[in-house]
Amino acid sequence: MKLGKKELIMLYTNLLRARRADERIVKALQEGKVVSFYHSGQGSEAVGVGACSFLRNDDYLYPHHRGHGLAYILPKGASMKAHMAEHFGRATGMAGGVAGFHGVDPEHGIFGGGGTIGSQFPVSAGWGLGAKKNNRGQVVLCCFGDGSSNRGTLHEAMNLAAVWKLPIVWICENNLYAQFMPIKDAYPREDIADLAHGYNMPGVVVDGQDVIAVHEAVSAAVERARNGAGPSLIECKTYRYRSHSEGSADIAHAEPRPAEEIEAWKKRDPIKLFQEHLLKEGILTTADVERIEKEVMAEVDEAEKFALESPRPDPSILPKLLYQE
Amino acid sequence: MRQIPYVMAINEAFAEEMARNDKIFIIGEDVQAGTFRATTGLVKRFGPDRVMDTPLSETVVAGAALGASMCGYHPVADFMFADFMWCAADEIFLKTAKWHFIHGGKVQVPIVLFGNIGGGARVGPEHSQCPESVVWHTPGLKLVVPSCAGDAKGLLKTALRDPNPVVYFYHKRLLGLPGDVPDGEYTIPFGVADVKKEGKDVTVIATSYMVQHALAVAKELEGKISVEVVDPRTLEPFDIDTIVKSVQKTGRVVIADEDTKRCGVTGEIAMQIMEKAFDSLDAPIQRVAAANLPIAGGYMEQYVLPGPKDILAAIEAVAKK
Repeated sequence: MKLGKKELIMLYTNLLRARRADERIVKALQEGKVVSFYHSGQGSEAVGVGACSFLRNDDYLYPHHRGHGLAYILPKGASMKAHMAEHFGRATGMAGGVAGFHGVDPEHGIFGGGGTIGSQFPVSAGWGLGAKKNNRGQVVLCCFGDGSSNRGTLHEAMNLAAVWKLPIVWICENNLYAQFMPIKDAYPREDIADLAHGYNMPGVVVDGQDVIAVHEAVSAAVERARNGAGPSLIECKTYRYRSHSEGSADIAHAEPRPAEEIEAWKKRDPIKLFQEHLLKEGILTTADVERIEKEVMAEVDEAEKFALESPRPDPSILPKLLYQE
Repeated sequence: MRQIPYVMAINEAFAEEMARNDKIFIIGEDVQAGTFRATTGLVKRFGPDRVMDTPLSETVVAGAALGASMCGYHPVADFMFADFMWCAADEIFLKTAKWHFIHGGKVQVPIVLFGNIGGGARVGPEHSQCPESVVWHTPGLKLVVPSCAGDAKGLLKTALRDPNPVVYFYHKRLLGLPGDVPDGEYTIPFGVADVKKEGKDVTVIATSYMVQHALAVAKELEGKISVEVVDPRTLEPFDIDTIVKSVQKTGRVVIADEDTKRCGVTGEIAMQIMEKAFDSLDAPIQRVAAANLPIAGGYMEQYVLPGPKDILAAIEAVAKK
C-alpha cells in the first residue's frame, strides 16, 4: 500500500502518541501513581506503529511487552485512557483494574497478554487457527523480543503455523537485550529472521528505526497471510533507551550498558528520523509538528486525568470473575 | 438399561455434542486414530478440520486450544496421557485458568482439557499420574473425574457446554469397564456428588477408579460393616453438602484417591469435612492415596499406588475406633 499524506501524518502521530504516553507513565510511576511495574518502550516505537497502523479491527494482535503494548495497541485502536487507567489500578482500565498492566480489548482484536515471555507464540497459533477457521481473511500479528526467541514455544508454534499455513506474521522486536542478557550471548547467528528458513517461510530483516520500512515489510507479510499463503517472520533491529524495567539497573550481564551504544542509537531515534523525512519531503511544516505535539500532549493529559479521576474496582467483583456464567 | 464400556460412552458424548455444536473441535496428537479409542471414528463423521492431528507439540496444542477458544470456538485439547499436560503447564495453569479473570471477564475461554490418568498399567512414572490436586489447587479450572460409563458421558456433555475451561480426567483402568448408559439425551450437572451405594457405618469418599475399588470392598464387607460410597464426580465445583450429610449419618470417614497423598485431594476433602462436620466425627479420618513417591514402574508400581486392600484396612481401622 502506497502511503499518502494523511497516512504518513497518522504514522507520525502514532509514534508521538506512543512516546509521550510512555514518558507520562514513567513519570507517573516515579510520582507513585502507577500501581504495577513498567517496561518502557522508548526508542523502539517504529516497530509497533509501522506494524499495526493499518490493520483491520478484527485482526488479532499479541503486542510486544515494551510500553506494555503502547506502540502496538494505540495504532490498533485501543484507548490510551483505558491503558493508563489500568496502570493506575482503576475500574475503567482495559481489564477493569484487575490485571494491573496486561492489556485487553477484544473489540480491537486484543485478547490479553501474559507475564511469561515466550508464551505469546502458542496462543497466537490458536488465534491463527481461529482466524483460519473463521475464513474472513483475518490475520494475527504476534510480536516478541529477541529474548522470547530463545524459548522452545517459538518452535512448536512456528512449526504448527507453517505446516497448517496459519495467517500469522511473527514480528521480532530485536532490541539486543533480554533484560540484562545481550542477544549475542544467547543466539548463535546475526539474524533471528534466519529461523524462518527452518519453517519454510519468508524471513526478513528490517531497520526497526524506520517506520516506513517496518510498515512495508509487515504489509507484504499481512497480504501474504490474508491470501492464505501462510506465516512470515520479520525481524526489526531496534533498541530500548531505558533499562529493562523502571528502577532496574541498566546493565548488560553485570556491567553498565555502553554509553556510546545508547548515544549511537539515540541519533537514530525513530521519531526524529521520520520527522526529518516528512519535513524534507514537505509533508509536514514546523507549524504542523508543533500542532501535533500539542494535540498529542492534550490526549496524554486527558488520559492521565481520566485515570486519576476513575474509581478503584470494587473488590466484591473478584469471586464473580473466576468463571463465566 | 443398555451397558457400554466407559470409553465408548466418552466417544458417544463427543459425537453427540460435535453434532449439536459445530464450534467444537478436537485437537491433539493422533486424535484421528484415538490412542485410547476415546476419539476413534470421529474423523470419519466430522472431518479432519474438526478432529485435528497435530505435530508432537503439547505446548502448542494447549496454546492453539486457548487461542481458538477466544475466537468463538470450543476446543478439546487432548493430551493423550494427562502427564503430558506438564509440557503445557504455562498455557494451562497461567493462561487458560486465569485469563478470563485477570482480563476483567472480557475474554471467554471455553475449553475441555482432556487427559488419561491413572496407574495400574505398569507404564511407569510419566504415564500413570493422577494430577488432580495440582489442577484443583489452581483457581479457574473445573475438574471432572468420572468413575463409570454413565457419569463419563453425562459429565463430558456438560463439559462441552460449559463456557469455562474444564479439565476432564478419564482413568485408563476404567476404559473397558461396561456401565449403564441411558439411551436418550442426558447430561449430568457439575457439583453434584453421587451416592453410589448407601450404608450406615462408614462413609467412603472415593474418586475415579477408587470408586470401583470402594464398591468392591463395600460388597466384600456386607453383613459386617455397612459402607456408604460417595463419588464427588467433579472436584471443582465440589459438592461438600452431600458428603457432610453422609458424614452426619455414619460419623466415620475414609477418603480414597489415587493422587499423591501429600497436599493431595484426600487432605483437602478431609479438611473441608473438619470445617463443616467436625462434631459429627466419631473417629479420625483415614486417607488412602498414593505414597509420597514417584510412581514406580514394573512390579514396583503396586507398592506406590493405593488399592482395594488399603481401602479395606482403612475402613476396618476407622470402624473399630
